[in-house]
Amino acid sequence: MALKETISEYRRPLLGVASVVGLTLVWEIAYTYFIPLDPFFFTKPSLIGVAVKDQTLSGELWKDLAISSKAFLWGFSLAVIVGIPIGVFMGWRRRAEYVLDPFLTALYASPLVALAPLFIIIFGVGLTGKVALIFLLAVFPFIFNVFAGVKCTDRLLVNVVRAFGGKEKDIYFKVILPSILPYIVAGARIAIGRGIVGILVAEFYGASEGIGFAISRFGDTYRLPEMFAAILLLMIMAVIFTEGLRKLETILAPWKIGQEAR
Amino acid sequence: MAPCIQATNVSLTFRPKNREPVTALREFSIEVATGEFVSIVGPSGCGKSTFLNILLGLLKPDAGETRLNGTQIAGPGQERAMVFQEFGLLPWRTVLANVELGLELKGVAVAARRSRAMELIQMTGLAGFETHYPHELSGGMKQRVGLARALATDPQVLLMDEPFAALDAQTRDLMQAELLQVWDRTKKTVIFVTHSIEEAAYLSDRVLVTSARPGRIKQIIKVQLPRPRDYEMRLSAKFNEIKAEIWNALKEELLGRGAGNGT
Repeated sequence: MALKETISEYRRPLLGVASVVGLTLVWEIAYTYFIPLDPFFFTKPSLIGVAVKDQTLSGELWKDLAISSKAFLWGFSLAVIVGIPIGVFMGWRRRAEYVLDPFLTALYASPLVALAPLFIIIFGVGLTGKVALIFLLAVFPFIFNVFAGVKCTDRLLVNVVRAFGGKEKDIYFKVILPSILPYIVAGARIAIGRGIVGILVAEFYGASEGIGFAISRFGDTYRLPEMFAAILLLMIMAVIFTEGLRKLETILAPWKIGQEAR
Repeated sequence: MAPCIQATNVSLTFRPKNREPVTALREFSIEVATGEFVSIVGPSGCGKSTFLNILLGLLKPDAGETRLNGTQIAGPGQERAMVFQEFGLLPWRTVLANVELGLELKGVAVAARRSRAMELIQMTGLAGFETHYPHELSGGMKQRVGLARALATDPQVLLMDEPFAALDAQTRDLMQAELLQVWDRTKKTVIFVTHSIEEAAYLSDRVLVTSARPGRIKQIIKVQLPRPRDYEMRLSAKFNEIKAEIWNALKEELLGRGAGNGT
């Protein structure tokens, strides 16, 4: 009975782990015994595991990951700092919306990675070029989510703050900012994905270090287990950022927890 | 003595884009004495809420003037505070922080506003709920926060825009009784907008019945019932006479125009 209860309580993590482990096993067994794919083109979990061990123990991948993370954090932080104020401004000031909207919509809709070669010409293959590309890709989800959030701000609350003597500044900080927090987090989720695309593209194009460079180097030399090890690490990094964001939301917006549960 | 609130020939027409202009108020005039409890009762859409928003300073009338203690009302001010029908609590603030809002905007120091807010939390029966968020409260509790928040800055005039309309009947009765107690202790001038004849009769010194849109004062009914009032009073013959009087004034307006929507 007690076991049954424990199982039902932890159903979510148990099933999640089981599905990952199960798929890995199926892949391993199928590749080893049933479908003899050419190891030149394809690999299996046990070999990837060995590669992860070797690469991380030698410190090679950590170094690459650290280099890419640094670029990511810079680009992402700039996107937050620039994107949120632009979104708020566009959402709250009709004229700003009309002036900025054509440019931003066009840029958001375009495949901005096409600009990667230009960025590398301008900023070089180092940190600056990567940061610029990551920023450009990550800033739009912030702008547009925040813009949508500001548009959904409850007018009653704006009136309440005005009625109690609030100035324009108070409306920004006591009404708009807290009410767009969930929109910022939603924007950040999309921005993480786009930012990682930014890292990879920048490092594929022109770089001598970083996780994207490692992936492309291993791929070029047909070292598939090592390549997958690098991809795996990148995936883990993305998951950590996304989960960290969820945690951050519960800390910053405790009033949301109960609302969502209802 | 100069009236606390004086509105003279106030008119306001809304001109929404792509739609017919709507005249909410036409030459609307009232006077309210200091410490008086006045209700405004009228058909839906007769501009009652609009009038409160003008007194609050959120809306400017096209014509006419509104004065508080003889001074023209130019915008929101600390002498007036509103209790909103839909509560208008900030969902990201606890009960305590919501009650503190007006004091915070006024620039009162943290310690002082905390102790003042706690005082009102006690008075409005919210003790023990200080750290709750609005979504954890029932409608009645939410409006207690709305009332405490309005009283926190110690305004002279309390504007109440159908404050109990969103509550169930029993909670409403309870809140009415509590409002009378709070009013008795704080001696505020109250302008109370409602659809309920019973509520208006029970709470008020005077009931102003307005005409259908555009709203004007149609009749003023003095409620000559002793105070403090209790629930049993609602069963008395005198109370029912007053209700009938209000109803008679209102009847033609309701029948004449049919029910509108929104206020």
